[in-house]
Amino acid sequence: MTDQSENIFGNLEELEVKLSRTKSWGGIETENSYGPADTSDADYAEKLGDPGTFPFTRGAYPKMYRSRMWTLRNIVGYGAPEDTRDGLEKVLASGGTGINIVVDPLTTQSIDPDHPSFGPEVGLEGCSLPTANDIDRLLDGVDLSKIDTAWHWAAMAYPMVAAVHVKRGQPLETLQGSSMPDMLQETLSGWGERLVPTVLGHKTTVDEIEYSVQNSPRWALGMPQAYDLRERGLTPAGEIALGMAFINKTLEDLVERGLHVDQIAPSLAWVSTSDIDFFEEVAKFRALRRFWATTMKDRFGAQDVRSMRLRVACHTSGKSLVYKQPLNNLTRTAIEGFAALCGGVQSLEVCTFDEPVGVPTHEARDLAIRQQQILANEVGAARVADPLGGSWYVEALTDAVETEAKAMLDQIEKIGLLKAISDGTIEQMMDDHNLKIQRELDDGERIVVGGNRFMPEEEPAPQRFTFDRTNTENHIRRFIALKGSRDQDRWRDALRTVHSVAKSGGNPIGPMIDAFVADASVGEVWGSIRVAHGLSYDPYDTLEAPLDYAD
Amino acid sequence: MQTETEIQSGGGQPVRCLLGMLGTDVHSKGIRTIAQLLRDAGIEVIYLGEHNSVKGMASAAVDEDADLVGLSFSSAAYVTYTRQLVEEMKRIGAQDIPIMLGGIIHPDDHAELREMGVRGIFGAGSTTEEIVEFVRSMGRSQ
Repeated sequence: MTDQSENIFGNLEELEVKLSRTKSWGGIETENSYGPADTSDADYAEKLGDPGTFPFTRGAYPKMYRSRMWTLRNIVGYGAPEDTRDGLEKVLASGGTGINIVVDPLTTQSIDPDHPSFGPEVGLEGCSLPTANDIDRLLDGVDLSKIDTAWHWAAMAYPMVAAVHVKRGQPLETLQGSSMPDMLQETLSGWGERLVPTVLGHKTTVDEIEYSVQNSPRWALGMPQAYDLRERGLTPAGEIALGMAFINKTLEDLVERGLHVDQIAPSLAWVSTSDIDFFEEVAKFRALRRFWATTMKDRFGAQDVRSMRLRVACHTSGKSLVYKQPLNNLTRTAIEGFAALCGGVQSLEVCTFDEPVGVPTHEARDLAIRQQQILANEVGAARVADPLGGSWYVEALTDAVETEAKAMLDQIEKIGLLKAISDGTIEQMMDDHNLKIQRELDDGERIVVGGNRFMPEEEPAPQRFTFDRTNTENHIRRFIALKGSRDQDRWRDALRTVHSVAKSGGNPIGPMIDAFVADASVGEVWGSIRVAHGLSYDPYDTLEAPLDYAD
Repeated sequence: MQTETEIQSGGGQPVRCLLGMLGTDVHSKGIRTIAQLLRDAGIEVIYLGEHNSVKGMASAAVDEDADLVGLSFSSAAYVTYTRQLVEEMKRIGAQDIPIMLGGIIHPDDHAELREMGVRGIFGAGSTTEEIVEFVRSMGRSQ
């Protein structure tokens, strides 16, 4: 690591983007927000309210980006921890303001990098992080009590990052950062019952939220992870409906465990997308905040304003991008990012234009950051809260998205969320949606430039990101060596505790942290949970458990 | 024996197409959609879903008496996995069953994939019609 990179990580707190100008480009001074002349109008107060007031349709905060800019994120992850570290340093040097890490599919699925079936995939689409030591390497010099790290990773992110913090001698209360503990979305996004059975997935999410809000109150939870659900096949209204179904069921279970909504909801942030229909996405963010606020207040009896005020983390839609003539994707992502900001999100990742090709090139990443800087400084996207509020079209769309979402949510809750997932109802709903869209594309009723119309002439093959696999190969060897050198008794005892606590129906998150501290791997910890639930240790049915779970 | 016209007009035995994914890839939206579109076009689809092993996929192709095997990838490991499947199919004597690929397939890899025997490559911009046409052309009489 160079001195320069240490500075980049050390000064991360100071890298926050500031709003550079409140005047228009032409020089007209602007207000924090604009509204009707008569704000005492009952309909306005009930449905909209000023920005920062219930039901938060018009934004989470009164001054929005004037008081706090959105976090400019750029997702990074490839190869070994050393490779991803290098990518992070480049992002921060370009002006990114967050550490945003995506792990490879093996790590995401809690499969170790030495699994005999998946060697070619290690580190290919994200960073391979099978142990707490690997996270420690990736974040060497990053103080986890001061610097936010955002993990695109479900149930294992919190216990593993917590283990790193504990190993560094720090208390769990000071741990800062965020993860996305939503496991049900994974069941629905191609993982299926085989990898994450509905009941186990849901219980794990509830366990994790219960544990983290009680032990690490500064850790934020991206829940629901509605981004993947949308990408899998939902309308904007469907995103709200299914996401709220997840939230309702999760909160109900947590309340049953004795927690109050005000202990939980302030830690939650909605993980959303922004697709290509600008006005519909703006309407969705507005309808979503209203839906959330009224649900927290009326259904769960929230009293804390932080419970009712929804924060949104947005990543623009990868699915909306087109492989052919990929520079057109810069047009798409600019509009999607603009929609997210007009919709009032708290953090934004704009897809790189080459996302349909594979892992982004460094140039594409740089352009994605520049794009947000253009939106912030030139376009004036951050100047005024809820700039489209009061537009007849946008208000009507906001109402329409909300009405449709309510109807869908009722339908799902009538069946029961867990049943609707495990019996395939929701999956069928998503398949039907995708089929409808494909038919409209085939018929030419829906036009995508370079997708089904306006095809470019023959063009050169798109540039793709490649990296040297040497670090990844060394990383796999290092992982195997660790398994031989760790304190075997401590390791075995820790995994047995994970197993026995999970088997007795208790909350295993604390024991999972202990196991990661004892150098257990992600595959071993999740495998122990699986065995406790009567499943095979390895979801791919190749490996046997490396220990006896003696009772 | 059937003529091509008979197959395409829906007469005679329909084409049997095995569809599935290899490795840890979870991006099944595309293959699920194409499975339904092929069924609508009168093709018999045996849908294996995500997370198959190379061995499992090869033996299913034989057991299901498939006319062709269709794989979808969004993971960059597709060249390696496809080669493993081709080898395994050879090993069990199923080398005559054609393979087609869909998903994110980079043009730079087309030649290598063709060389190992992949018959159809349907990446971005492929139309439903092209895919249906190709699958029909893989019927028994070919």
